[in-house]
Amino acid sequence: MTFFSFRAYLVLGLLLVATVSAQEAQKEKLQGMIDAALDVIYSDTNTTLSAYEKQAQVREKLESSYDLDVMIRYAIGKNWRRMNEQEQLEVLELVKQLVIKAYVMGLDGKDRPSITLGELTEIGKARIEIESTMVLDTKTYYILYRLRQMKSGWQIYDIVAENVSVSSNYRGQIDDHFRKGSGADLIARLKDLLAKDKINEDTKI
Amino acid sequence: MKTQKFKRPLAWACLIGLISVTSLTAQDGKLTEDEAFFYEEFDEIAGVYDPFESVNRFTFEFNDFVFSNTLQPLVDTYTAITPDSVEEGASNFFNNLRYPVRLASNLLQGRFKGAWIETGRFAINSTVGIVGIMAPADAYESFAPIESEDVGQVFGAWGIGEGPYLVLPFLGPSNLRDLAGLFGDRAINPIKEPSSMIDDWEWEWQLATSGADYISRSPQIIERYKQLKGSSIDPYSSLKNGYTQYRRGAVAE
Repeated sequence: MTFFSFRAYLVLGLLLVATVSAQEAQKEKLQGMIDAALDVIYSDTNTTLSAYEKQAQVREKLESSYDLDVMIRYAIGKNWRRMNEQEQLEVLELVKQLVIKAYVMGLDGKDRPSITLGELTEIGKARIEIESTMVLDTKTYYILYRLRQMKSGWQIYDIVAENVSVSSNYRGQIDDHFRKGSGADLIARLKDLLAKDKINEDTKI
Repeated sequence: MKTQKFKRPLAWACLIGLISVTSLTAQDGKLTEDEAFFYEEFDEIAGVYDPFESVNRFTFEFNDFVFSNTLQPLVDTYTAITPDSVEEGASNFFNNLRYPVRLASNLLQGRFKGAWIETGRFAINSTVGIVGIMAPADAYESFAPIESEDVGQVFGAWGIGEGPYLVLPFLGPSNLRDLAGLFGDRAINPIKEPSSMIDDWEWEWQLATSGADYISRSPQIIERYKQLKGSSIDPYSSLKNGYTQYRRGAVAE
């Protein structure tokens, strides 16, 4: 082996190790984000917080780790082009609120779930999938977190719970909506859904 | 000599220029790549055939009304007056009775390991677990619960297509293949006609048993339905997509 090819292998090896550890670091980051969000919901010091306040704090934790716009843009797909710039921004914000509301309300009255991250698999170019199991109320659920390396770093673009992809589910709904409706109708629908929540704004979880 | 003096800085300038151009192009390419990623098509939602959408939506509204006004209060009362252990016992009992459906479905798909696990679970739960009220088999790693199989999945594994998406009154989302599968499940089920193992089975008792089975499964169904409805832009579309993805996943596993 020449000195040159030895150096080439060394560089390649180092690059490979760096890529693998960068991907593995995503597991730690994801676990940290999940724990931080659950701490907000289940912490004894937060029992006096309203549902709305908890949602705001959970959002802060999620956004400190990931750009939630990525998952929402992925769910909107080509329908993005059917909206003007202002509608796009409003839809991003409203869907974000809706998803966080569903997450926080979904755990309402339940024991803290135990979430264990499993294997990390590379599923394509700049894409990884992290397996996890969630034990909630004695039932075990299998959840996959899909991440992609974007310009802004590794971002979650889909969550697959029990074979059902959240992004695909929202894409299906939004596709169906745009067959007959407009961006303005979508905004009205989202506001309507969130307004229902406002009635329970002071509901303690 | 003079030329030599200029050669090195020129080479460096060229290299820096090249790196900058490459980097800018790469960034630009990355941006385009990110945008292209957002517009990707999903395999999961491809081909949900829904030619009866207007009828299905009507049935969906009907079911929603029944769920909200009849089943929900019934389930609320059931969960309020029944201790958790009794609820769990009822759910275990009816689940244990569906063993023949799961066994046949595993065998028909050539899943012999699944058939063995189901048989072991049935034997342990029916004896040690007092006619299936308890589930002591859960404690054994080799007989831990597995994904439940049904005749609809068998048809899927045999390559039979889903057919049109359907919303069944009282029962919810389905498709033509799963509807046929429901009849198959019923034919195998030992406490339901036509294969009932109980002689002189009065219709009142049949209705009561089916009702109890339905109610024992309802708290979970209602909970999931409420969550889905609360976070959906279009609950009908969400349920259609969710059901289809779930069933396709179950058949593929």
